[in-house]
Amino acid sequence: MKKWLFLLGLWCGYCCAWAAVNLTDDKGRQVSIAQAPKRIVSLLPSLTETVCALGRCQDLVGVDRYSNFPQAVRKLPQLGGGLDPQIEAIFALKPDLVLAASSSPGTERLAALGLTVLQLEPKDQADAVRVIRTLAQALYVADPEPVIRQIDLEFAQAQALMPAGARGKKMYFEVGTGPYAAGASSFIGQTISQLGLVNIVGPELGPFPKINPEWVVRAQPDVVVVADSSFSALAQRPGWGMVRALKDHKVCTFSQADGDLLVRAGPRMGQGALLLARCLQRLYSTGQTP
Amino acid sequence: MADAQAQAGWGHFVKSHSAAALQVTGLHVVLSGTKVLHDVNASITRGRWVSIVGPNGAGKSTLLAAMAGLLPVQGRVEIGGEDLQAMPAARRAQQLAWMGQGESVGDDLSALDLTLLGRLPHQSWFSGLNAADQQHAEQALRSMHALQWRDRYVGTLSGGERQRVLLARALAVQAPVLLLDEPLANLDPPHQADWLELMRTLVDAGATVVSVLHEISMALQADELLVMQQGRVVHQGACTDALSHRALESVFDDRIQVRTVDGQLVALPRSTRR
Amino acid sequence: MRDYVYQRPLVLGLLLCAVTLVMLLAGMLAGSNGLDDWHGLGAWLGPAQPEADSGMMAQIVWQIRMPRSMGAWLAGALLGLAGALSQAVFRNPLADPYLLGSASGASLGVCLALVGLDGSLIDMHWLARLGLTGAAFAGAMLAVAMTAALASGVAQTLRLLLAGVVVAVVLGAATSLVLQMYPHLLQSMQGFMLGSTAFVGWDSCALMLAALLPGLALAMVLGRWLDGLALGEQTATSLGLPVRPMRWVLIMTLALATGAAVAHTGLIAFVGLAAPHITRRMVRWGSRHGVLLASLMGGLLLVAADLLARVVIAPRELPVGVLTALIGGAYLLWLMRRHKQGGGIS
Repeated sequence: MKKWLFLLGLWCGYCCAWAAVNLTDDKGRQVSIAQAPKRIVSLLPSLTETVCALGRCQDLVGVDRYSNFPQAVRKLPQLGGGLDPQIEAIFALKPDLVLAASSSPGTERLAALGLTVLQLEPKDQADAVRVIRTLAQALYVADPEPVIRQIDLEFAQAQALMPAGARGKKMYFEVGTGPYAAGASSFIGQTISQLGLVNIVGPELGPFPKINPEWVVRAQPDVVVVADSSFSALAQRPGWGMVRALKDHKVCTFSQADGDLLVRAGPRMGQGALLLARCLQRLYSTGQTP
Repeated sequence: MADAQAQAGWGHFVKSHSAAALQVTGLHVVLSGTKVLHDVNASITRGRWVSIVGPNGAGKSTLLAAMAGLLPVQGRVEIGGEDLQAMPAARRAQQLAWMGQGESVGDDLSALDLTLLGRLPHQSWFSGLNAADQQHAEQALRSMHALQWRDRYVGTLSGGERQRVLLARALAVQAPVLLLDEPLANLDPPHQADWLELMRTLVDAGATVVSVLHEISMALQADELLVMQQGRVVHQGACTDALSHRALESVFDDRIQVRTVDGQLVALPRSTRR
Repeated sequence: MRDYVYQRPLVLGLLLCAVTLVMLLAGMLAGSNGLDDWHGLGAWLGPAQPEADSGMMAQIVWQIRMPRSMGAWLAGALLGLAGALSQAVFRNPLADPYLLGSASGASLGVCLALVGLDGSLIDMHWLARLGLTGAAFAGAMLAVAMTAALASGVAQTLRLLLAGVVVAVVLGAATSLVLQMYPHLLQSMQGFMLGSTAFVGWDSCALMLAALLPGLALAMVLGRWLDGLALGEQTATSLGLPVRPMRWVLIMTLALATGAAVAHTGLIAFVGLAAPHITRRMVRWGSRHGVLLASLMGGLLLVAADLLARVVIAPRELPVGVLTALIGGAYLLWLMRRHKQGGGIS
């Protein structure tokens, strides 16, 4: 009898060990997760959204201060930012999995304290899909494909929404004053090219170059995308009265919340594409700025 | 001789109305909450050289600064019979030349530029320096035997050399009253002797000099002694007066003795073993 | 014995003006294609080539490039003036215009205005833009006022300097705190803190000129008195200088000049420190012409840095404050090496 129990125990242990998930995260760390995590801390908004998209929102016990979607996570304890995580608060929550960006400091400390840390940082679309799959593995989610299919569906919808008149048009996407533009090699740039538009800032200039404003004037973009707070002063910029997009009122503005959609390479990136597509549909159907 | 030339240049002093070039009445000075000068009364006659002497902390520099109008005071200070407080700053600057103790100067100025700053009291708002200013500044440097450094940066000079340039700056003001605090700092004996001669020359030409000197022997070469102790004037009298010698010896707790050697007054340390 | 590079300040002044003119002309050519815009400029200058966008080229030159170069020159001149004044007031060759906390004050002003308007820097409607520029200016002025209050007046140099450090640190911390609460403002703030002439237009130039002229006039009039300050407060007082009112006037002028420059071009490092020093090495210093020359030198430095910022990695731009810091840092390093070899700080 005891022999059988012993063999049974061995077999269970072997199965468990075999069943443990072994991952390599973006920092090259080998992480082994024995069972589905029940207490997850996320220090990157896109990872928070991914966890929720994979249906494990209820397992989140703490997030960073910038995670704001979905609404439910706003009630969770905030543990600092990605760049300044509160080590003590995180440790006190006794998480069995900590998700952080590759560039997040403090992860060594957390790992030294015995916590399981997984560092993932999606930078572009392909990355985002990979991260969704990796995270699904870590969370013991059987099938992440519906999430990915939803994203693909949203992208397809966005492409379908694009009016014929907008295809091939030149776009200038400004992410911040400086001015900092979204280049073709950035995540936003990929969205733009997927929608069939041409980015006036080519891939050789990097993902978010600080551009000479004269360049924009000379490139004469057909559409300009800026934050809505920057919109009112656009025409006041020296020389920008000549920009065709401003003269024709072909400007898309995005609010702070919409900005999250556009810059986070997470499960909502398809919605970001939809946002842009809807604006372009408005511009090229009626020719009016919303 | 260079000295005669220097003497000729100092001819024109402003003639004051009263005999007393400088008069201090009932002076009380409080610095940082501490009373430094108690009811000081002193009268300095025109054309005399007075040395303020006393132990450390007696308030000598404070008295000099108060005479120059640089400190808030209770009491009255008069220059040539006029109240110092009531005098406009420009006029005061032309009547008084003050040189402080251990002045730190921006090392970025050349010796001539620094001396030329002594001409500031004579310049109006918009005028630049004229030839007369240049001349006075150069004369001042010459009388301090410092003219050879006119283009050198003050920061590159030694302590004694810098002191001479600072003295030249005070001389360049051409004020009838000179208030000098430790003018002999860093000067070696030959230059101390030069300075003594220069003071004599100036005083003979009509200037009034008040100096704070801690070299007692040097101080004894003046016309009068103003002996101070703990913020009070203990004695004011001629240097040759024996009462002045007694006062001097007593404020130093009889650790010095005043003697005449080869016709010159000197102060010698007295050993404790009597 | 120091040999001056230029015996007469006038020669240096004319030279600075000449080189500045060359830089301004080059600024007309420096654009998003670097400096190879000869043909484009030619199209504008000569009617012989009827290029379709020659009209646009003219507008680009006059509305974008010229005001940028002029603005850079004006901001540099303001900083050079402020630097010379601060070195005179504080009797310290290492003094720079930001010593009284004006830089931190301006940063906090901009940060709070951004939060209040939830907008991006410089990118506002004309009136609102004046508000943001005004916020930077107001922040700078308030910081200096705080410093003066903390030091109980401007009479004592050491107290003033210490108070300036305290104010700078505290306001800087406040700015960091606000930025942590509103992280999306980080990029805009970075643009401000590294300095940028990207959106300087003719209106900014006009405002900066309005701040520069009184400052220069004051320096010319008070020139000799400024030199008197170098002797120390007591000696200066004994020479008849009204030291306390002078300090107030000088500090207010310096705050005004710094605030005006910082409001329009952000925080640009080292121009205020380096310009008076370079001038001092080249010509015998007297504050009357020295402050003017330091101003010209500062203008030249910034015009040159702006040119480089636009040209080096065109069409991208380097932050102009980074370039002035590099150039200034290299200069100071050289200065320190010379100090080790020779004697004296000069």
